[in-house]
Amino acid sequence: MDIQTAHPVVSKVICEALGRDIEALALSARLIDDLGAESIDYLDILFRLERAFGVKIPRGQIARDARGELSEAEFSRDGVITDAGLARLRAHLSEVPADGIRPGLKMADIPTLFNVETFCKLVVKAHASRQAGPAGA
Amino acid sequence: MFEEPGLKGKSVVITGGSRGIGREMVIRFAEEGCDVTFLYLQDERAAAEVLERVRERGGRAYALRTDVRDREACEDAIAAVVDRCARLDVLVNSSGIIRDNLLAAFSDEDVREVIDTNVVGVFNAIRAAVPHMMAQRSGKIINITSVAAAKGGRGQTNYAASKGAIESLTRSLAAELASKNITVNAVAPGVIETDMSRALLSAAGDEVKGKILLRRFGRPEDVAPAVLFLASCFGDYITGEVLHVDGGFKME
Repeated sequence: MDIQTAHPVVSKVICEALGRDIEALALSARLIDDLGAESIDYLDILFRLERAFGVKIPRGQIARDARGELSEAEFSRDGVITDAGLARLRAHLSEVPADGIRPGLKMADIPTLFNVETFCKLVVKAHASRQAGPAGA
Repeated sequence: MFEEPGLKGKSVVITGGSRGIGREMVIRFAEEGCDVTFLYLQDERAAAEVLERVRERGGRAYALRTDVRDREACEDAIAAVVDRCARLDVLVNSSGIIRDNLLAAFSDEDVREVIDTNVVGVFNAIRAAVPHMMAQRSGKIINITSVAAAKGGRGQTNYAASKGAIESLTRSLAAELASKNITVNAVAPGVIETDMSRALLSAAGDEVKGKILLRRFGRPEDVAPAVLFLASCFGDYITGEVLHVDGGFKME
């Protein structure tokens, strides 16, 4: 599975979760700023994606993936993303325009960066994990 | 004369449904034409009796042996209900225990067990139900708390704390889930004649009755209608509320 094959279903799921008419959402559409999502909608979307794709997306996965190998202290300080954290986010959220990830970005603002492609990538990763099976199996 | 309550065909899960108030709710919801599944911990005979009583009255109910302290078991139980009914409309959290004693005499288990069942168990059931209700964009969660939460009482600090926690959960969760058309309310029974309250009533019955404005103990049949009301279409515009069904219980 890749982003292009996941996109139509992810688009439909997001529309259903947000109570929108079903339409093809642009990969670049930001869930909060463009589509009007709230934090509870993110959970709803994750649950629906799990059912639609038959995958498990552990809670907190998005935050852990965003941080990567950085510790919490290396990633942010007093709620503001560090330079190392910004570099990590630019690499991890390659679908987000570079000017959206700039100095002064707060932890609380990270969810505003997520767009439809972010969730497509999440599903592709979860699907790949399911195909790979448990470690050592 | 009255509008239909809109309960017929609804999928209802009730924890702690083999005894006391939970048992009465299973029977009443089934009588209203709901598809009722109740969870019970271990009393197979009591569960079978409830099923038989429902059958006698022409209703439909299922029993799942489930320990609400086990989050995965709760998820499995809720998933089984959704598999069968294709939806989950109402969750009633009625599972609860008491371990009464003065606080200074508590064992660690007296504290932990009450919190595990009465608080964590409720969280587990709700966490299992919410994804399905969100997907439906509808649902009703009703938590059975207690007069002890607001009014206190000697010998029940653990129980009172657990029910107070659930009342706070009720208000906060109502705020979280409102945008998904899911209501969250609580029903706080007073002193109700059940197996669980038998020891208390035996030890201090007259003293307690003197604090009740209606001068009698409640029965499970007094509490169940309040829960049905909140679950019905009559309760559609109520959320974040604690409905006291206690005969006017006053602490002196």
